[in-house]
Amino acid sequence: MVNQNLLDAVMLVEIALLVLAVAVFFTHGLWLFLNHRRVMRLTETARESLARLVTRGTINLEDIELLRQLRQDVQVTVFLETSRNLTGSGKERLRFVAHEVSLIERARKLCESRLWTRRLRGARLLSRMDVGDPIVVKLLSDQNAAVRAQAAEWAATQPSPSIIATMLKMLADPATQARFAVQDALLRMGTIVAEPLAAFLETHTGLPAESGLRVAGAIGSSTFLPAANRLSANEEVGVRIAATNVLGAVGDVSSADRLATLLKDPDEGVRAAAAHGLGRMQHWQSASQLAECLRDSGWQVRREAGLALRALGAPGALFLRRAIKGDDRFASDMAQQVLDLPEAAATAAG
Amino acid sequence: MSESLTTAVTQVLIKGQFVVLVYFLAVNGWYLVLLVSSLLEMRRHMLLIADESRHLLLSSTLSPRISILAPAFNEEATIEVSLRALLALQYPSLEVIVINDGSKDRTVDVLKERFDLVPVKTIYQRRVETKQVRDLYRSASYPSLVVVDKENGGKADALNVGLSFAQGELVCAMDADTLIEPDGLQRMVRPFLYSTDVVATGGTIRVVNGSEVKLGRVVRTRVPTNPLAGMQVVEYLRAFLFGRLGWNRLGGNIIISGAFGLFRRESVLSAGGYLHDTVGEDMELVLRLKRLSYERDGPGTIAFVPDPVAWTEVPESMRVLGRQRDRWHRGLADCLWRHRKMLFNPRYGVTGAFVFPYYVFVELLAPVIEAAGLISLALGLAFHVVDWSFAGLFYLTAYGLGTALTAFTLILEDVSFHRYDSFRDRALLFWWAMLENLGYRQMTVYWRLRGLWKFLRGRKDWGAMERKGFQKPVGIVETN
Repeated sequence: MVNQNLLDAVMLVEIALLVLAVAVFFTHGLWLFLNHRRVMRLTETARESLARLVTRGTINLEDIELLRQLRQDVQVTVFLETSRNLTGSGKERLRFVAHEVSLIERARKLCESRLWTRRLRGARLLSRMDVGDPIVVKLLSDQNAAVRAQAAEWAATQPSPSIIATMLKMLADPATQARFAVQDALLRMGTIVAEPLAAFLETHTGLPAESGLRVAGAIGSSTFLPAANRLSANEEVGVRIAATNVLGAVGDVSSADRLATLLKDPDEGVRAAAAHGLGRMQHWQSASQLAECLRDSGWQVRREAGLALRALGAPGALFLRRAIKGDDRFASDMAQQVLDLPEAAATAAG
Repeated sequence: MSESLTTAVTQVLIKGQFVVLVYFLAVNGWYLVLLVSSLLEMRRHMLLIADESRHLLLSSTLSPRISILAPAFNEEATIEVSLRALLALQYPSLEVIVINDGSKDRTVDVLKERFDLVPVKTIYQRRVETKQVRDLYRSASYPSLVVVDKENGGKADALNVGLSFAQGELVCAMDADTLIEPDGLQRMVRPFLYSTDVVATGGTIRVVNGSEVKLGRVVRTRVPTNPLAGMQVVEYLRAFLFGRLGWNRLGGNIIISGAFGLFRRESVLSAGGYLHDTVGEDMELVLRLKRLSYERDGPGTIAFVPDPVAWTEVPESMRVLGRQRDRWHRGLADCLWRHRKMLFNPRYGVTGAFVFPYYVFVELLAPVIEAAGLISLALGLAFHVVDWSFAGLFYLTAYGLGTALTAFTLILEDVSFHRYDSFRDRALLFWWAMLENLGYRQMTVYWRLRGLWKFLRGRKDWGAMERKGFQKPVGIVETN
């Protein structure tokens, strides 16, 4: 039989655990309730003080003192929520007040912490307050990916040549999260990054080139054409697809020949991107090559070729009608589907 | 002869009790490990998201495009509110595809009237075999809305059709009546941005019964007073907050709720889409994605986001709840059977060595062991092998640790997202957590056993799921 003593012992442990859980659950609830009331009251007062300081432009020492003596979590909450709604001189005044109440100093100290969670917190505070502090530059090479990503987010508002150069190096970051933040930050910096990015692409291949080409495609400047031309012959498929997308997005007639060559690329993704680009340029001289692509083994290539032909207008329509009557069932089917599309749908799909 | 038989039965009962008790303690001990793991994971998550601004993701042109796949079958009454809520989700690059799965009511007519639908043609590739698509519509008022009208083929078939039409890099599979938090997609997409190895993410699904819903959004969270719904709130918290979150750290999940999950579209399509001939199509897909990731040496992380991202309505009647649990267990058995070669197979890494065996020996077989324990206890009483005080003590010991763990789950919710903030809700939650072992849990054992039996007999029907809806039930605010 199961030993009664064993059951008693197990039962005792379970009861102790349960009692502990109940005590913690309800005590924490009570603490939450009381804390919430207190925080709400403090936040309300702090909001009013901060609003006075930011909108009036004059310094009221009482308000500064009140904000300085606030609990840190409330202080952070109030500054961050106010920061979200301010730009220009309003934000400048907010930064001044944040400096006066030592919030900036505290954020800087957090950035220097040995714990990554604190560094992340510090970088977040400085980012969201748009504080151009050089201490965050160091965090661009932090060992933690989340911290690097946060520093990259900060860098979007600090487009100096040295920061841009650091950010371009980070396009090779092994962490997806950091790479995404860097790409996004470069994009937010705008056309100012076009020249350095084009120079970067001239000398890089692999992952950094692929990441950079994504940014280049979104910026859409013809500065990237030489690099895109070169990289469209790269041995890595991802780079070739990204380069072909750039050629299609920003290329002119001079890029059309290269795109037409890429219609013969061994990779389906590259061929589809090339067909898409030619359609976008409405390069009617490539109609016969696009018509060839209607017989491609890849569905995506056939689709893009069909839509490109449709985008060419009359010359493309001629090839599509011929394909319908042709002997290739797949080409015929795709041509029929493309011709059946209403105008708006064809434009949207292309 | 009869004396020796009685002795033998007594021995079997005594040994059986011991086995059952050890099983209970072992399972709950493992749950304790999961709880600690989820505590660590939750702490890390809370530190990661503290003071986080998701505006970056919201306004980025590089954010991956998401296509929401919303299958609808006879949803005439709720489709408008649900769809408006979906179209208002906060995500920069979103496409909503409603797949009308051959509804017999006016679902398509309601959509046409309320969303200015116009018939369109498009080119799409049918990479997965599906039932015939009848019509395709786009909305003149909402450019991101697509409605596909198809012949009835079930949820899996509808999702497969949606996959063919989706343009997004990621697809979100959901039930038509799931309520998604306004920023739910932003939270769910995070793991995809953090790693290229992620193929699917799931989030915490909460029970909406009893809460206030307005315009398809949960505006005030309350714990339901209905006992069945209340005990399911506790169950959901336990399943998501320490079950799935715990596995996140210990080697990965193999379950994403069918109510709301985000998948890499190409991975799903290359795996062959959703299977038609199973009642657990959501779990089957996730398990297949995981299995293929080992076999093809490709991406295969199934990430779990602890943030409460969606709400679902749970059954409030024994009949409907019984059918649901029966179906879930059949689904589980079916999935585990289909992928049985993963069990203890070193080729499948942690999943084969730990996760899969856990689902077989704990999730699948738990009702068998539990029923055996209860029956042997009853027989023990009948044969006077045990007395009532011992039986009571045995029962309390067996269920006690589970109850304590449940209480700790409530604490985990409280220190992280604390959605249930009033004293009334706290007391109710605790009350349901204590009560679930007195009858409710035994009922779920019966339903799961029934599911297992039906699986063994080859039954694959769904059973009707009746819902009160979010429109006019008691305790739920009517939508304006």
